[in-house]
Amino acid sequence: MAGIGFELRRLSNSRTYFGLLRAYAYAGIVSSGPWVLSIAAILMLGILSIGLVVPSTQITEFQVSVTWMIALSLIYTGGFQLIYTRYVADRLFEQRPDRVVPNLTGAMLVLLLPASVAVSVVMAVWFPGTSLAYRLLMIVGFVLLCMVWVLTVLLSGLKQFRAVLIIYMFGYGAVLLLALGLRPWGMEGLLGGFVAGQALLVVGMTGLVWKAYPPTRLIDLDFFRHQDRRLWLIPAGILFNAGVWVDKFIFWLSEDTSNQVIGVLRSSVIYDTPTFMAYLTIVPGMAVFLFRMEVDFVRAYDRYFSLVRDGGTLAAIEEQRLGMVMAARHGIRDILGTQGLTLLVLMAFSHVLLPALGISVLYSGQLAIISVGVMLQLLVMAALNILFYLDDLRETVAITAVMLMANAACSWASIALGPYYYGYGFACGMLIASVVALPLVNKRLDRLNYETFMQTR
Amino acid sequence: MKRTGDIDILLLLEGTYPYVKGGVSSWLHEVIRGLPHYRFGVVFMGSCAKDYAGWRYELPDNVVMVQSHFLFDPPTETPKRPRRRARGPDAAAEKAICALHENLGSGQPSLPTADELSDPASPVGQGMFLDSQSAWNYLTECYQASALAESFVDYFWTVRNLHAPLWVLGRIAAELPPARLLFSPSTGYGGLLGAMCARERNTPFVLMEHGIYTRERRIDMMNAAWIRDRRNFLQTDQSEISHLRSLWVRFFETAASQSYASANPIISLFDRARRQQVADGAEAERTRIIPNGVEIARFAGLRRPLGTPPPPVMALIGRVVPIKDIKNFIRAAAIAAQKLPTLQAWIIGPTEEDPPYAEECEDLVQSLGLQATVQFLGFRRVEEVLPLIGVNVLSSVSEGLPLSVLEGFAAGIPAVTTDVGACREMLEGSGRDDDVPGSAGGVAGLADPDGLATHIVSLLTDPQRYAEAAATAIARVEKRYDRRTMLNTFDQLFREAMG
Repeated sequence: MAGIGFELRRLSNSRTYFGLLRAYAYAGIVSSGPWVLSIAAILMLGILSIGLVVPSTQITEFQVSVTWMIALSLIYTGGFQLIYTRYVADRLFEQRPDRVVPNLTGAMLVLLLPASVAVSVVMAVWFPGTSLAYRLLMIVGFVLLCMVWVLTVLLSGLKQFRAVLIIYMFGYGAVLLLALGLRPWGMEGLLGGFVAGQALLVVGMTGLVWKAYPPTRLIDLDFFRHQDRRLWLIPAGILFNAGVWVDKFIFWLSEDTSNQVIGVLRSSVIYDTPTFMAYLTIVPGMAVFLFRMEVDFVRAYDRYFSLVRDGGTLAAIEEQRLGMVMAARHGIRDILGTQGLTLLVLMAFSHVLLPALGISVLYSGQLAIISVGVMLQLLVMAALNILFYLDDLRETVAITAVMLMANAACSWASIALGPYYYGYGFACGMLIASVVALPLVNKRLDRLNYETFMQTR
Repeated sequence: MKRTGDIDILLLLEGTYPYVKGGVSSWLHEVIRGLPHYRFGVVFMGSCAKDYAGWRYELPDNVVMVQSHFLFDPPTETPKRPRRRARGPDAAAEKAICALHENLGSGQPSLPTADELSDPASPVGQGMFLDSQSAWNYLTECYQASALAESFVDYFWTVRNLHAPLWVLGRIAAELPPARLLFSPSTGYGGLLGAMCARERNTPFVLMEHGIYTRERRIDMMNAAWIRDRRNFLQTDQSEISHLRSLWVRFFETAASQSYASANPIISLFDRARRQQVADGAEAERTRIIPNGVEIARFAGLRRPLGTPPPPVMALIGRVVPIKDIKNFIRAAAIAAQKLPTLQAWIIGPTEEDPPYAEECEDLVQSLGLQATVQFLGFRRVEEVLPLIGVNVLSSVSEGLPLSVLEGFAAGIPAVTTDVGACREMLEGSGRDDDVPGSAGGVAGLADPDGLATHIVSLLTDPQRYAEAAATAIARVEKRYDRRTMLNTFDQLFREAMG
C-alpha cells in the first residue's frame, strides 16, 4: 500500500516538553540577608558615635537618611532585581555568558538615569538648609544602593552566597572604619563613610560578575527585548519591597508617631527602635530557610524536572514531588521552630539585652510582637520563593499585593488604636499574607504533576 | 470542469488519492473513471499540508467535490477550554472516559459522535482531554495499570499525539456533505471517519483494504526509530515491542475494529487478507473478496504464440526500494546464471525513491561480478518490455495483490514470486469457482534466492512447464483478474449497498 502512512515521527519532536528553565528567581528575598548586615552596621555606627559626634541629633540624621535611602532604593529596584536575575539565568542557560555584563550596564543606565535625576530634584527642592556635601552624598548614595541591590540579588541568584557575604563583610567593615574615622566631620562624615563603603561593594561585586562572565562589548540593550509574561516579576518585586516597608512609612509619616529629622525625612523613634532590633532576630530563621530551600527543595526540584524531561517513570516523578513537599514542610516547621526559640531567648533576656544596648526595657513588648511579624514575613518569603521556582508569577503578585495592603491597613489601624498596639499591625498584616500564601503553595504542590503536564502555560 | 451536484459515493481517503501516486491511488482513479455514472466526492486526509506537493492525478469529471484535511497540522483555532469547574476532578466524567475506552476495545460500534467531540464540556471534548483533571487521572491510571517502567513524558505525549487527530476527524465529520454511500480504502483514520459518519447519518459504509492497514502500521511501528525506546541493548527483546509502540499499534487496532463494526461489506483483494481481517475482528459474513484486475486487451496483443521458446530473461518490474527486496532478486540471478550462462536479469523501475538503497544494490551486482547479467533499466513502459521477458519475478517481502504479475499474465508470461500477499493465490489458484486450476509459475519463501532461482531456471529450461504455466496464466487472468469484471462487481455492489 504505497503512499499510505503518516509521518508520525515528527510528532515526537513536535513540542519541547517545557521551557527548559524555571529560572532561579531566588530573588530580592535573599537580599534581606545582607540587609541585616547593613542594619547592624548602622545601629553599631550610631552606638559607637554617641558622645563623639556632637550634637547627637546628627547621629539620628545620619541613620534616618540612610534608612530612607535603603527603603526607597529597595522598592525602586525591587522589580528589576528579579527580572534581571531571570534574564541572566536564561542567557547562562543559552551559553551566552558574554551578554551578562553589557546588559547589566545597559539596564543599569536605563534604570539609574531617571532615578538620579529624580533624587537630585528631591534633594534640591525638599532639603533646604542642608549642606551641599549632604545633598551630593545622598544622590550618590541612592544610586550606589540601587546598584548594590541589583548586584546582590544577581550574585545570590547565581548562588554566590559566600562571595556576596565576604564582599559585604569587607564593604561594611570599610563603612565602619571610614565612618568612625570621619566622625570629626559630623553627620556628613558618617554619611561619607557609608557611601564610600557602598562604592566599595559595587566595585567588588561588579568585579566578581565581570570575572565570572567576561564581556565582549561594553553595553547592550538586549535585555529589553526579552521580556514577556515574566513582566509579572516587576510588580511582584516592587510590591514585595513596598509590603515589607509600608508599616515603617506609615509610622514615619503619621503625625502622632513621628517627628521631622532632616529635610522632608521623618522617623518614628517609638517604632523604629524595636523594628530594627526585631529584624536582627531574623538571622537564625534566615539560615534555616536558606538551607531548606537551597539544599532540600532545590535538589528535589532539579530532580523533579529532569525526571519529567528526560523520561522518568511517574512513580519516580511523584517521589521527587513529595521531596519538594517535604522540603517545604520542613522549611516552614524549622522557621517556626528556630524563630520561636529565638523569640523565647529574646524575651527571657530582653531585660538584660535592651539596657545593654542603651534601649529602654519598655520596648520589649513591641520587640516581641514585631519579631513575631518578622517570623511570619519569613514564612511569606519561603512561600514566594517556592512559587518563583515553580514559575507561578501571577500568584506571587497576588500574594505580595495582599501583603502590601494588609500590612498597610493593619498598621494604620494600629496607630488609630493607640501605642499599646504599635507593632501588632505589622504582625497582623504578615499573618494575613502568610495565611493567603501558604495554602496557595500547598495547592500548587498538590497539583504539581497535573499542572506540569496538562497546564502548559 | 464542473464539480457540483449531489454526491453518490463519498471516498474517505487517508494519504492517497489525489495527492500521492501509488497502488491504491491508481486503483481509485480507475474505479472513478470506470464508473462514470456515479458522482464521487473525495475527502482527503493527510498528515501535514507541507508533506504534499499538490494533486498528482487529473480528476475525472464525475468527481464533484474534493476536500483536503491535514490531521497533524497545528490547529488554526485553539481548542475551547472547558469551564473552570469542569476542569477539576469529576468522577462522572472519569467514569465516562473509562467506559468509552472499554467499549472501543470490545469491538462494538461505540465511537463518540461529532457533536460530543466538539462539545467543550463533554467528557470527550478536546478541551477536556487537554486540560481536565479527569483526563489526567484516567491517563495516569492507565499508565500505572500498564505497570511498565516507561518514560512518563514519552507516554504522555504519545497518548496526546495519538488522540489529537480524533477531534479533527470530528470536525470533518460534522461538515461532511450528504452522500448515499461512504467508501474507504483503508481502516485507520479513513475507516474511523467512515465509522463515525455511518453511525451518525445512517449511511451505508463500504470498507476495502488493499493491504492490511493494521499489520502495515505494526511493521511501521516496529521500525519507527522516532518512538524513543529507552531500553538498553540487554533489555531489548525482539519478540516484544516496547509499550509506546504497542500504544500506537493498539490505537490502529481499535480503529480497525471500529471500522469493521460499522462497515458492510468488508472487502479484501485475496483470501489471506480476508482471513487476517476476520482475525482482527471483522465479522466473517460481511467479508468479501474482490480481486484487483488489469485491462486484458492492453496486453493480449503482446502474447507470444504458445510453444515459442522464452527469451532467457528474468525481470523485476517495480521501484528499487527495500520492500521489493531487490537484493534477493540479484542473488537469485547470481544462482540462476551459474546454470544458465546466457541469462539476463533486468530491474525495470525508477531508482530515485531510495538512492542509498539503489546504490547498495548496484554495489551488490559489482561484488557478485554480475555486470554482464544484471541491468538496471530504469522506468520503462510495460508494453515495451513485456515481449522481451521470459519470467516475471517478484522478490518482495510484502505485497498486496501486485498488478505487475497480472499484467505479465495477460501478456502470457509466467511469474516466480515470494510467498507474500496474494501471490500464492495468483500463481497456484484460489480453488474458488471463478478461478482455473494449475500453476502459472512458482512460489518461493521470503529471502530465499535459491528457491527463486530453481523455479526461474526450471521455467526457462523446461519448454513443457513453461507452455503450461503461460496457458494457466492467461486463463486465470482472463477469468479472475479482468478489470472489466472487477468494475462490474463494484458497480453492482455499490448499487445494492445504496439500496
